[in-house]
Amino acid sequence: MNAVFYTADAQSWAESLGDIPWPLLPVANRPLLDYWLEACAEQGIEQVQVILGEDSERVEDFARDGARWGLKISYSFARTSEHPLDYLKSIADRWDEGLLFIGAPFFLRHRKAFTPAGFETLDACLHEHDGQIQFLFGKSGAEVKALLAGEPGSRTGLEQIHIHPFTIDSTAAYFDLNMKMVAGEFPRYVTAGFLDSDHSSIGYNVLTLPSAQLRAPILVGNDCRFAAMTTIGPKAVIGDHVIVDSRSELENCLILQDTYIGQNLEIKNKIVSGNRLVNPEDGTSIEIDDSWLVARNRPDMRTEDLVRYIVLWFLGFGVALAQLVPFCILYPVVRAVRIGKYFDEKFHDPRTGYTALPVFRKLKNRRSVAYSLFRALTLDRFPWLLLALRGRLFVCGQPPMRHPEDDEIIHQLKQYYPAVFSYADYCKESDRLTDSLWYAHIRSLFEDVKILIKSLLYRFFRAGR
Amino acid sequence: MIVTCSKEQGIGIVEVSHALTAATVDSFREQLSKWQEAEDDVLNYVIDLKHVDFMDSAGLGTMIAMLKRISEKGGDMKIACLQKKPRMVFEITRAYKVFEIFDTVEEALKAFE
Repeated sequence: MNAVFYTADAQSWAESLGDIPWPLLPVANRPLLDYWLEACAEQGIEQVQVILGEDSERVEDFARDGARWGLKISYSFARTSEHPLDYLKSIADRWDEGLLFIGAPFFLRHRKAFTPAGFETLDACLHEHDGQIQFLFGKSGAEVKALLAGEPGSRTGLEQIHIHPFTIDSTAAYFDLNMKMVAGEFPRYVTAGFLDSDHSSIGYNVLTLPSAQLRAPILVGNDCRFAAMTTIGPKAVIGDHVIVDSRSELENCLILQDTYIGQNLEIKNKIVSGNRLVNPEDGTSIEIDDSWLVARNRPDMRTEDLVRYIVLWFLGFGVALAQLVPFCILYPVVRAVRIGKYFDEKFHDPRTGYTALPVFRKLKNRRSVAYSLFRALTLDRFPWLLLALRGRLFVCGQPPMRHPEDDEIIHQLKQYYPAVFSYADYCKESDRLTDSLWYAHIRSLFEDVKILIKSLLYRFFRAGR
Repeated sequence: MIVTCSKEQGIGIVEVSHALTAATVDSFREQLSKWQEAEDDVLNYVIDLKHVDFMDSAGLGTMIAMLKRISEKGGDMKIACLQKKPRMVFEITRAYKVFEIFDTVEEALKAFE
């Protein structure tokens, strides 16, 4: 059997949700296309053709060659003059082994009794919405040709195998589907690794501070960071890379990926997609981008980044200049008493993949005035500062990630600023991934100066400990 | 940003012509202050937001500051004709709990009676 997914038609309702192509819009934190491909894998379908329209790159980038699902995916572009039905008819001979066609934002909503094996008993069927074929299924060439010729197929269609055909034709329908998923349906789509006893699921690396309240049912994606006093749920779907600031309450809402929620907000019955706030009832959307309200996480701030880089370079130059003489005096002493030395260690580099950085390590576990002074004056970072002045590191930013131990962290960071100083220098409880994500969102000149001053002071007062 | 101020039944009606954002709040404040100086007997205000299709935290902050100033003088302030998009900002910031919001200017004026 072959599968064809027609994603070329634009969906006006999806435009209010931002720039995510509709096949990638998440349903309970998973792209819609993911469910379709998973259904193919469950049915033993190997060949999938995805017909692309606008934003094809992002769809292609997500599904790639289909190896993740054990499928072989090929791509083609829709001709504007050709109706998808005409296209299927024009190459009808290819469907001799059967066809599964989805041609719209169509969700195969599982009822409790559904099992993937049910498809074996499914009669040839076709589902239409507003005169458009959304779903077509035939196990043989004859069945497919009959359906394409206009025969109605099974009366009960997908319902006979306990699938409720759900057409997403508005923001309200999209929101409703997500809320139904979080209210209890999503475990029907997720098998291994999740416990659904209380209808809650929280992804990896989600940092929640003690006073935050997370009330089921909720779905929380990866790399989220909730500050203190945050109340989340019930019925909240939080996508990946979302930051919720302190004292915000989220209830009956859908937060899509890369969203920053400001302080002390109350978000109920809303969709938030980056800097967009959407009322699902009528699709009204408002673009805010205001860190006091809602904003796009990880904003692209090239000019600000450049200004920040230049100012920090001069500050770094000042620190390096102040350290030059003490380093020239103390490093020979440290080497002479054999208390510490530099070792080259591999770290990830945003440009070259990886690079070796000199890391100062204590050789002997004994007290040493020279070592304490060396550390107190942050002289162990002097070679890194020189590298920062040569443009190979940032002065302030994220801690350099080790290669290959930190591959997973690097994979999750969209923006990597390996730096001489980071939160880890003065915050003992620092978690490198969440802090790195946080820095990427909040980075500013003020934040960098704060990191620099706090790191230098903390190291000075905690020297040698 | 054009702020049109008028007086009806001793109540100041402030009509705002544009989105109320960080870029426009200064002009809003300045124009309103001038009118308030000239009409210092006006205590109560209705803010007509029918032409305001967007409001950010700066705009909202200005509204709250204005309410505070008016309340300190013993007056009151009501909001009329709040549009869909700014309404969402009012909802998520809980500002609807702070302000009295009416669908029309007439309803807001009646509420002062």
